[in-house]
Amino acid sequence: MFKIEAITGKYGYLTVHEVEYRVYFEENGEGIPLLCQHTAGGDGRQWRHLLNDEEVTSKYRVVAVDLPYHGKSLPPEAVGWWKEEYKLTKSFFVDFLVEFSHALGLDRPVFIGCSMGGHMALDLALERPDKFRAVIGLESAEFTPGLDLIWFDHPRISGEFKFANLFESTAPSSPENYRREVGWVYSQSAPPVFRGDLHYYSVEHNVTGQLQQIDTSRIAVYLLCGEYDFASTPEMCRQAASKIKGAKYKEMKGLGHFPIVENYKLCKKYLMPILEEITKIH
Amino acid sequence: MARFDRIKGDYVYIEVQNVEYRVYFEEKGSGIPLLCQHSAVTDGQQWRHVLNDGDITSRYRVIVPDLPYHGKSLPPESVEWWKEEYRLTKSFFKDFILEFSHALGLERPVFLGGCMGGCLGLYLALEHPNKFKAVVGLECVLRSEEASLDFWDHPRISNNFKAAATWSLMAPGSPEKYRRETVWKFSQSAPSVMKGDFHYFFKDHNLTGQTQDIDTSRIPIYLLTGEYDAVVSPEDTRRLAEQIKGARFIEMKGLGHLSLCENPEALKRYLMPILKDIAGV
Amino acid sequence: MKVVFLDSSKVEGLRNAINNDTEFKLAARFMSEDVLLEVDESRCIVKVQDGVVTEIKLNPPSDAYWSFSIKATAESWDKLLQSSPPPFYTGLNAGMMRGNLQIIGNMEVAFAYFWAMNRMLDMMRELQNK
Repeated sequence: MFKIEAITGKYGYLTVHEVEYRVYFEENGEGIPLLCQHTAGGDGRQWRHLLNDEEVTSKYRVVAVDLPYHGKSLPPEAVGWWKEEYKLTKSFFVDFLVEFSHALGLDRPVFIGCSMGGHMALDLALERPDKFRAVIGLESAEFTPGLDLIWFDHPRISGEFKFANLFESTAPSSPENYRREVGWVYSQSAPPVFRGDLHYYSVEHNVTGQLQQIDTSRIAVYLLCGEYDFASTPEMCRQAASKIKGAKYKEMKGLGHFPIVENYKLCKKYLMPILEEITKIH
Repeated sequence: MARFDRIKGDYVYIEVQNVEYRVYFEEKGSGIPLLCQHSAVTDGQQWRHVLNDGDITSRYRVIVPDLPYHGKSLPPESVEWWKEEYRLTKSFFKDFILEFSHALGLERPVFLGGCMGGCLGLYLALEHPNKFKAVVGLECVLRSEEASLDFWDHPRISNNFKAAATWSLMAPGSPEKYRRETVWKFSQSAPSVMKGDFHYFFKDHNLTGQTQDIDTSRIPIYLLTGEYDAVVSPEDTRRLAEQIKGARFIEMKGLGHLSLCENPEALKRYLMPILKDIAGV
Repeated sequence: MKVVFLDSSKVEGLRNAINNDTEFKLAARFMSEDVLLEVDESRCIVKVQDGVVTEIKLNPPSDAYWSFSIKATAESWDKLLQSSPPPFYTGLNAGMMRGNLQIIGNMEVAFAYFWAMNRMLDMMRELQNK
């Protein structure tokens, strides 16, 4: 008897900003919808441990999408994308997630995102509090400028650089093979994608001075940050949380910038109480 | 969502040469199993138009795996792969297909492969003719040689090179959107994979002296190559076909080296009669 | 027909076409290299600085610096530059694989900027067939 995972991968067509996209996503579980957003330059595989966790999938319909240009979601057929410099904008990112949720019939899902997904958690709480019942931001911060380096998309530098760079963002105590897996997924991304995503992460995402507008009675906010995260530090995350009345924050000891991949078992100790609380309250 | 492709993606765990692999695969359709092997570097998405073709999926259960280290199939968890140079070998490639086929309970599938995939099909025909119903090989050759593979995995050369090198291997008449999609997939691979796959295709693959042992009365062989293919020319494949008694060779006019995905409509014109022939229609 | 990049009346138009091509601009944005083009015994150097073709120099001196060369016979160039090129002349890699052109010199640089070079070939093709 060969083990086949309960995860199902599917393709659907979605129109965002008048362009049709063929979108790949994976899902597993039943219950409250939990929409998972991968990191810049990553793809939905980063959520594979969560997707396979019966403790979560017994309460949540877990959905992990590949953004266009990532993983199995190709660039859009209708656009001459090869003539443009790929850049992820906040406007597209927000609208894509809202449209995708709507298309799948996700009723006010919980949103969980890491890194640029963590930043998006704050943007969604600010701009679409009616569309989500809660956001869980991993490695969130108000503003992380200067990280969209030209070296991430350079003809004289191979994907090995992305591998090395992102491997280093994990905690040294995380299991070696999962740390390497983080780097592997990054090294697979098409050349312009990581830097293009960092346009959102480092340039367009800036919620300085706005977080006090978030009403946690409308949308619950949970922020978590890995102890070893040097790009978006625990202090930056804690600061962001302190400006949101009713937001909850925890530093994740022994974890780095990719908690859900590099050491899911440890990350779960922080994540599970939040997911359980959401089932009771929201 | 207004539209879905009705393709289903799954992950299966199989053991190949004592190592466990978590393998991503897609499937659609019902009927005779049709196991599709992607070419070097990329992944099963090369077959997306075949997967979405109702004329094929109404007769065939189309199954498309991502080889380990490709697409959504990660490197194996139990191996310190970062300490090794990734190399696809004939032995592993063959055993992978056999194990995968067995794991999914595929009863004598038809094997359809592009380039390195096509070439692998010939070993399956040679060594396991009882396990497959037929082999359809795109871009097959007796053997190929390349002087140096180092530039395909070089720290000072980005994946844009892989896309650029692939671009001119396709026919100029193939629709631009599919050619762009094809090279996008080539740019979307881990640095070591192209060189590692090319190790199989350019160094390990060699049918010299073995072609006469392929028995097409037990397993039909169809060999197709595109007119514009500069890697494996139609002449290269014709010469191979002449050495396999009973093998059918077809030159695909207006197609290049990435016939499996650069022009789905053109490929279908050649592929469909063969699939109907195999299905006995 | 004279190869477009050896025609003194056409090189400026070619230079502008390459510099205006969006894809070339993206692919060559870090490129500062001199590329030698050889057609039998005739030569020219395409000078690129920070992604911009600054000059297409005809008949350069024999000791002129270049980082890599794209070399083919006049007959091969004729086919490479056809608007719908025949098999094995569809681009640089196809030509190289079938011995219809050679790339000599700093291969690492040539391959790092391969996309830009393919676009340069596309612009040459467009102008050759105007």
